[in-house]
Amino acid sequence: MKKKTTRSLVITNIIFLVPLIIYGVFKNGYLLYARNLIPFYLIFKPIYLTIISVIIKFTFDLIINHRFSINYNLLYMVLVSMIMPYNINFIIYTLTLTVIYFLTTLLESKIKFNKVCLMALIIILVNSFFYKFTYLSPLETKFNFAFSFLDLLMGRSIGSISSTSIFFSLLAYTLLINSYYYKKDMPLAINLTFLGLAFITYLFNHDLSFLLNSEIIFASIFIAPLPKYSPYKVKDQVLSGVLIGLITFIIALLFNNTISIYLAIFLVSLLGNLKKDGKKKQKI
Amino acid sequence: MKKLVKIEVDKNLYFLNQINNFLDPTYIYLPTSNKEFKENDYIYKNMLIEENISSISGSIKSIKNSILQIKNDYKENSVSNKIKRNIKNKEDLLNLLEEFHLLSLKDKIENKDITHLIVSAIDEECYSLKEFMILANFYSDIASTLNTLLKTFNIKEGIIATKNTSEASIKNIKSILGTYPQIKLSLVPNQYLISREVYLCSYLNMPLDSTLILTMQDVLDITNALKGKYTLDTIITISGNNLGKSLIINVRIGTLLKEVINKFIEIKENDYDIYVNGLLQGYKVSNFNVIITKDIHTIVINKKIEVFQDECINCGACIKICPLNINVKKCFIEKRYSKKCIGCGLCNYICPANLPLKEVVKDGAYEEKNN
Repeated sequence: MKKKTTRSLVITNIIFLVPLIIYGVFKNGYLLYARNLIPFYLIFKPIYLTIISVIIKFTFDLIINHRFSINYNLLYMVLVSMIMPYNINFIIYTLTLTVIYFLTTLLESKIKFNKVCLMALIIILVNSFFYKFTYLSPLETKFNFAFSFLDLLMGRSIGSISSTSIFFSLLAYTLLINSYYYKKDMPLAINLTFLGLAFITYLFNHDLSFLLNSEIIFASIFIAPLPKYSPYKVKDQVLSGVLIGLITFIIALLFNNTISIYLAIFLVSLLGNLKKDGKKKQKI
Repeated sequence: MKKLVKIEVDKNLYFLNQINNFLDPTYIYLPTSNKEFKENDYIYKNMLIEENISSISGSIKSIKNSILQIKNDYKENSVSNKIKRNIKNKEDLLNLLEEFHLLSLKDKIENKDITHLIVSAIDEECYSLKEFMILANFYSDIASTLNTLLKTFNIKEGIIATKNTSEASIKNIKSILGTYPQIKLSLVPNQYLISREVYLCSYLNMPLDSTLILTMQDVLDITNALKGKYTLDTIITISGNNLGKSLIINVRIGTLLKEVINKFIEIKENDYDIYVNGLLQGYKVSNFNVIITKDIHTIVINKKIEVFQDECINCGACIKICPLNINVKKCFIEKRYSKKCIGCGLCNYICPANLPLKEVVKDGAYEEKNN
């Protein structure tokens, strides 16, 4: 067994995200450009968003600590950039992320919550004040698609800018479970709960895209098990995984399929806080 | 029971399968609380000074902080006669151990109803080769003593356990197995903590309560006692990435590490860290003024690296790896120790944030040893 540092864990995680970003460039860049739906420079929109996130993170590092550091905040910022809807505006994204990153960093010492989900949800909310709330790309707005199982697996589904490839997410999961530090039970608990419940609805409406939701798979693999915001005991990981799966299903059914998982993860991370506070009070 | 792990070691460290001897130190240092000792008093070799045996003869040069500094006169004037002993039963063995001040070994044997016997040549620390080298170099004596012990305890079969990676010792012990058919060789996987009683007995399917596990050093002590000799030397491994070469040295107990280093070791860079008894279970010291006792088996001299301590990332790896299921994270946050902790150092090893978990969880072990 080899010792890892926080830095190497972050880098490993980011490496696993690279294929998904590249697929994002293909799906939400090249394919749109090939159909003359976007200008050439927008092919790399997913990468621009990631670069903006990284620049914001390093600028804060430089201002606060006077040096760059590779820590979990870098991973959070990359993850936020990947779960944006296609119609996100660069200026709104940059300004909101800067403000919200600063605020969440301040708040973090007082209350624990999944920073990635909160940042993403606020940016999406702010963006929806100016633009229509949608996860459709220009191509998906123009045409209606009936996705097959293979389409959904490979990532042709409707979703965030760089997170739609279920194949690459699952590939990353199969590699991540070999890491001693990865909380592998959480994604399993989330997906089994959600799939179990979603399968019942599938029997009625035959909507495969509800069942095979790339956002849920991506977030359950990369965002829910983020060490800082998830329980460290296996039993608690499974428990919160089941809870996330359940809340995700309810929100997806009642409100929106794409952001349901982010809301659920955020809520459960907040609940974890309440549990800790409760224990502290009991001790006193 | 938790699954044991294999620790990744620096593959660039190369050890020669030979022991260097350093048996003529200029000084040895022995602790004593006896205030009757004065400077220039003569100390004989094999002389008992409280719980320690003098490994050289010579006069006391100084007494500081209750430690005698004895200057070697190289005459080897000894107080005991080397008379061979014969043991027929457990009582004889216990008397022999008492006579040669092997008291911890006596305690280990005295209170146990022994039905199985294992002699372990497994070094727990990654960079320690003490047990391995004793088996590789004294295999004939070890087998003979083990045979005597089997007769003493009236046990039909004895086991020598060694790591499946210890090629030299496997080859040597196999060559004498024909002479002692009641001794069997068991190869165990190269996993950290496998030499601990609970894991070794479980791996070899032996009952924990009635199995006596001796180390190679224990058997060597008994061998010496049977020959009428005290154990005056100890084998230490000196390694690390700041050394020209790693060495295994047989030194007189009580020798100052500084003297050994000056004679044998070539240090590459001036900025280094010294660890006594390994990187996992050992402790860091600031200089080579360390007296080599029987408990010291490893010295690691590594290039100094700046270790950045991050804040805890809540990964839970420390709890997952702890062989005793201690909630290490909770103990660390609440700054309290756990009585269960065995100080194996796995939590420190696995922590990606480089937090000093062991130092908190194992009741002030770091400070105690440093003092």
